Amino acid sequence: MPDSFQQNIRKALADPQLQGALDGNAERRQAAFTAAFESLPESRQALRQRAHAMRQTVIADLDRYLDQFAARAAANGFTIHFAHDETQAVEMVLQIARRSNARLIAKSKTMVGEEIHLNRRLEQAGLQVVETDLGEYIVQLRGEPPSHIITPAVHLNRQQVARTFEEKLGLPYTTDIPALTGAARQVLRQTFLEADIGVSGANFGVAETGAIVLVTNEGNGRMCTTLPPVHIALMGIERIVPTLDDLALALSLLPRSATGQKLSVYTSLIQGLPRPGENEGPAERHLILLDNGRGRMKDSPLAEALLCIRCGACLNACPVFREIGGHAYAGRHGEQTPYPGPIGSVVSPGLFGVERFGHLARLSSLCGACKDACPVDIDLPRLLLEVRSQGAAPSTPPEPRPQSQVPIGVRLSLHLFSLTARSPTRFALAQRLGGLFSRMAPARNGWMRLPAFTGWGYGRDLPRLAAQPFSASKTARRLSPKPGDNPLRKKALTGQPISASPLVMTGPAAAPVSQDLAARFSQELEDLGGSVVGCTAADLPQRVLDYLASVQVRQIQAWEAPYLPAGLLDALQAAGIEIAHAANPEIKVGLTGALAGIAESGSLALPAGPGCPLTASLLPEIHLAVLARTHLYERLSEALPLPAVRNASSVVIVSGPSRTADIEMTLTIGVHGPGKLVVFLIDSN
Amino acid sequence: MPETAQLFITCLIDSLYPSTAESVVRVLQHLGVQVEAPPGQTCCGQPAFNAGLRPQAAPIARHTIEVFEKTSGPIVIPSGSCAAMIRIGYLELFAHEPPWLERARRLAERTFEFTEFVVDYLCVTDLNASYPGRLTYHPSCHLLRELGVDRQPRQLLKSLRGVEFVELPWAADCCGFGGVFSVEQPEISTAMLARKIENIQAASAPLVVACDAGCITNIQGGLLRLGRPERVVHIADLLAEALSLGGSHAG
Repeated sequence: MPDSFQQNIRKALADPQLQGALDGNAERRQAAFTAAFESLPESRQALRQRAHAMRQTVIADLDRYLDQFAARAAANGFTIHFAHDETQAVEMVLQIARRSNARLIAKSKTMVGEEIHLNRRLEQAGLQVVETDLGEYIVQLRGEPPSHIITPAVHLNRQQVARTFEEKLGLPYTTDIPALTGAARQVLRQTFLEADIGVSGANFGVAETGAIVLVTNEGNGRMCTTLPPVHIALMGIERIVPTLDDLALALSLLPRSATGQKLSVYTSLIQGLPRPGENEGPAERHLILLDNGRGRMKDSPLAEALLCIRCGACLNACPVFREIGGHAYAGRHGEQTPYPGPIGSVVSPGLFGVERFGHLARLSSLCGACKDACPVDIDLPRLLLEVRSQGAAPSTPPEPRPQSQVPIGVRLSLHLFSLTARSPTRFALAQRLGGLFSRMAPARNGWMRLPAFTGWGYGRDLPRLAAQPFSASKTARRLSPKPGDNPLRKKALTGQPISASPLVMTGPAAAPVSQDLAARFSQELEDLGGSVVGCTAADLPQRVLDYLASVQVRQIQAWEAPYLPAGLLDALQAAGIEIAHAANPEIKVGLTGALAGIAESGSLALPAGPGCPLTASLLPEIHLAVLARTHLYERLSEALPLPAVRNASSVVIVSGPSRTADIEMTLTIGVHGPGKLVVFLIDSN
Repeated sequence: MPETAQLFITCLIDSLYPSTAESVVRVLQHLGVQVEAPPGQTCCGQPAFNAGLRPQAAPIARHTIEVFEKTSGPIVIPSGSCAAMIRIGYLELFAHEPPWLERARRLAERTFEFTEFVVDYLCVTDLNASYPGRLTYHPSCHLLRELGVDRQPRQLLKSLRGVEFVELPWAADCCGFGGVFSVEQPEISTAMLARKIENIQAASAPLVVACDAGCITNIQGGLLRLGRPERVVHIADLLAEALSLGGSHAG
């Protein structure tokens, strides 16, 4: 591997601040991971095997699912673009930007965006691009690439962020994390309101309905896909799930595996353009479907890596990632890849070439913690071995790979070992010679201290070879097989583990489920920092008025009367509350209904529609939602197929007030979306 | 008629820890097994395979298959990584060579790791042995994750009369060996080893038991380099001692 590569590794190992940050990430994530799966009725093992099969079905028949998805999405109003490579993808974005006379682009997190180097190219073309995910925003200010698929700024501490905000935003130096988050919120709020184009990623595309799904926590994803007049979504062609049921399965695994959450705060299903009567949302939605090597990978031995749902769990489980962090996973020529860690060590060579990134697969002890953690049960160690095998091979035309990626010393030793170990006589001779030489080296109690350059000797001692190997011993001679029969008894093994019982990242059997949906819903939402107020439909107006009085607010943005309990808006108006229906960034309280509540995760399903502006649950600091008890379901999978959900132009599943932990993994509630969520749970609608 | 089992010694135990092989034999014989050790064994071929050098690994693997094909009955291996190589790695290695694939499969079907053989095949969970000491257990990665063997060694250890078994914090974390990884990335490997040693210290266990010679060499080598008193031992050596079968463990 190149010198600079090894130097970066050494630098990472010697950086106490980075080490602390990576330790914090690993410990928190691993603890949250184990707890997160306890509430599911199926074991994590069963779920991920199902998810593996589901994703495998898609990749095995990708063209068909892609066509189905694209056709449905187009019918929903998306303008579909197929980009063969990063150049095409960037050109497509630039064309859209030119046609819209765009100046300012608000970006929510997209790894595909990183992959195509979008920001740099847009800036070269004279556009201003602002990252709006807090972690991405911070690394953008610092001119750094993200260091993790999910938490881009995990390598920084609060002092570094404080200094960056001081330098770049003129904010007086403070390490108070809520203050730093608040400063970012203020700056970025303007960006959302002024941006000409919102660029987002897409976590999934649902083939059955032609919807894209965004899984976010801060609210910036919703802002970027709702406020600017043009929305561009970037998606890898492999990120498809066949049906809504499959989506529910994927969503039961993704947030839990990524951050230990049952659902992220905002799960958005974007199903098309705003309908007539919906007075907000973009006029254009573009979906750029990127190949960039995925099509080729699908037909290669590395195809299984395309099952990845980009949760980052393997990064959090990897003991090597924990030591060196994401930036150390650089290419042969020092280039960064958006995909580090175990999955990155397969996907980066798979997409961008073994020549450039194959050496990353050697940054592993093959311990398998990644495979254990993976929610779709990707056999990462097997794939890493496959990359190593490809990287070790001498170049054959037309592939201009200059040399084997196996270091010369290792290659020669193993070549020699291979010649020896295929022949018992040579092997025995080598053992004798080895025994002789090792007895010449100084040793204490039979263990030698080798010099650091041997690699082994860098950190540990090595035992001398035994004077007499076991195979040369009397015992071994005595145990030479005698002729005769031994009937094979008992079980035959199939090469599969008899009992898969990984210690790490498994939880106990699921806890018994409370039948009281309302009680569960309230508990879950309160755990997330939301509040629940139970009341009768008759009491509702007074309770809302009481709340508004308590926060001294007299102006609200609300859904229109037909979509809220009868008489509610009249009663509020009569009491002097000003009610607006259109978005207004100055308004501090939004009042909405909810189509459904989900008890398992304390979530609300809010479909967009005429009279149901989604901005009412997005722009104001406080979100009040009215939910009827009779509309409570236990699980997301029950809510997704509801006709009102399927037919809406977009739906957001809200699970608590907005949040982020992008600075030093410290939780801050209230980022871009509302910081306060109060649900009025009424007995009937 | 006693059960007959074929012993696959493994290159590390053969060359570095022959007394561990003696322990394996003694324990199995104590349990009524007739042990045979086919001559001409060398190595399973894993180091080359893991390094990506499949053309170099294949001849070694073919030799191993040939040695053991001549035998029948269960094959017992005192190493999780070697057993995994035969059961899983060989199927990858020979995936495109149907005749060798079939021969490898027949071998894989009768291959057991040592503790797996004792507990699952011989159905022995209590050796009726004593070890009045404090010890902890380090699960090697291939044993734990590839073979799914974990319950078995723990059962055997916990069954020892008088034993004080303490759980190793973050036990499933890799010790940093990883075969060629330890010499290709010595700094990262040593950092991982340092963590493992910190956890051993935190367990206050003077003895660490493991089932894989690679891990044992790595961890013991690190402890000695640091001048630390803890010792690492192969489970076969510990069980042989607990059964008072003679021989002594490393250190």
